[in-house]
Amino acid sequence: MHTPAISIEHLRKTYGTLVAVDDLSLEIQRGEFFGLLGPNGAGKTTTINAIVGLVKPTRGHILVLGLDAVRDYRRVHRLVGIAFQELILDGSFLNVREILIYQAGYFGIPPRRARAKADELLERFGLWEKRSAKVQELSGGQKRRLVLAKALIHDPEVLILDEPTAGADVEMRLQLWEMLQDLHAQGKTILLTTHYLEEAERLCQRVGILHQGRLVSLGPPEQLARERGQAHLEDVFLELIRSERS
Amino acid sequence: MIGFLTLLKREIMRFLKDAIDTIAPPTISVILFLLIFGVGLGSRLGDVHGVPYIQFMTPGLLLLAIVRNAFLNPAYSLFQARWYGNIADFLVSPLSVEQIALAILLGGVARGLVVGALVLVAAWLLTGITVAQPMWALGYALAVAVAFAGVGCIVGLWTRGWEGVGAIDTFVLDPLVMLGGVFYSLEMVRGVPLIEPLTALNPFTYITEGFRAAMLGEAEAHVLTGLVLTLALGVICVGVVIALFRVGYHLKA
Repeated sequence: MHTPAISIEHLRKTYGTLVAVDDLSLEIQRGEFFGLLGPNGAGKTTTINAIVGLVKPTRGHILVLGLDAVRDYRRVHRLVGIAFQELILDGSFLNVREILIYQAGYFGIPPRRARAKADELLERFGLWEKRSAKVQELSGGQKRRLVLAKALIHDPEVLILDEPTAGADVEMRLQLWEMLQDLHAQGKTILLTTHYLEEAERLCQRVGILHQGRLVSLGPPEQLARERGQAHLEDVFLELIRSERS
Repeated sequence: MIGFLTLLKREIMRFLKDAIDTIAPPTISVILFLLIFGVGLGSRLGDVHGVPYIQFMTPGLLLLAIVRNAFLNPAYSLFQARWYGNIADFLVSPLSVEQIALAILLGGVARGLVVGALVLVAAWLLTGITVAQPMWALGYALAVAVAFAGVGCIVGLWTRGWEGVGAIDTFVLDPLVMLGGVFYSLEMVRGVPLIEPLTALNPFTYITEGFRAAMLGEAEAHVLTGLVLTLALGVICVGVVIALFRVGYHLKA
């Protein structure tokens, strides 16, 4: 039996009396394109932050390719690349190229290889012309592509994307979808959170719908729609959220 | 090791690239202190412990520069990285939390020593001061830089706002250092109400006097007294910093 890319077992995270994630169990297989959906505050970002160690689980375990995300965090981090929802970029004194080179360095990539990898990603993501620019000089779309390039600098096996197309215009969204499909075709496991159900329907092989920290539905988008007699994932999503609320 | 060295390089480049804001102001202010209090007023004070006043105050000013810069670099770097969120770049990398803590701390040590070296050169040009026990003085400067870079890391993790770093600098470090014998010896304030007891009770006085002993060859306190105090402070601060990083204090939710 294959080791899943990500295995979440009974994850619970509370902040005081607020339950952000409630007994979440989920497996994402290697090479899968998986979407985590849910309204604001459903626990999506908490879940992915727990995978990369930015959130300490109150209870439960997370395994990444069989490695414990807490105990083996350093080995897990080598395997995972994450693009955060907020466009977090170390731009106070570094230019675009340096941001990628330094990020490669944190992952133990020697300087010469780091420079080559940074240049390759700058070309691939259409940022070569902006290599000497400061982050503040980039457009929203360029920042988003830089965040994605940064997540790929160490060639991770598992890619986690938190709302990768939030705020993107239609053209940019299509470009990013194409990039993500290419990465998936190269064999990467992708875990994506999104508010755009069309995005999940188009890209994801399976989706999990979270509501108030609990997994309320799981399966391929078309199967979920069929089972509930709906035409689209959006209708399934709305029906589930409304029934949970009532 | 590459990851650790990259983060250390980042911490050093952070202040070197912005030298006009990070290196120049503290160096210039210490040079002004030397000129005004040392060359100007100092010439009327005569010798203190057998050396001209300007040479007497130089070790204290050097220590002041090292302390403040070793403190400020990690304090602002850590808080800035937390504030803007790019601390996540380090936390999701394969760097261990101990490596992250030490790289940020050593960045502060580097800034403290760079500013200290510039101040020493300026002091040598202005006063012709030489270092009596170079190895003791260097070891001392290093220990002080480590201890106060540790304090800077703790403040950078603790503070919830930009003003927190400034508040500690103004309300804790400045009084500690200013009342710690930078400009005077215990002998000079003997019998002065408030100043004498505050100076005598201030552990920084013994750190300053120890460093003065290493630089000038003689002072009121033995070189080892201050060094032991500094090393103790350094061990405690580094220990606390590593413990805070391990539990993810203000780093992980």
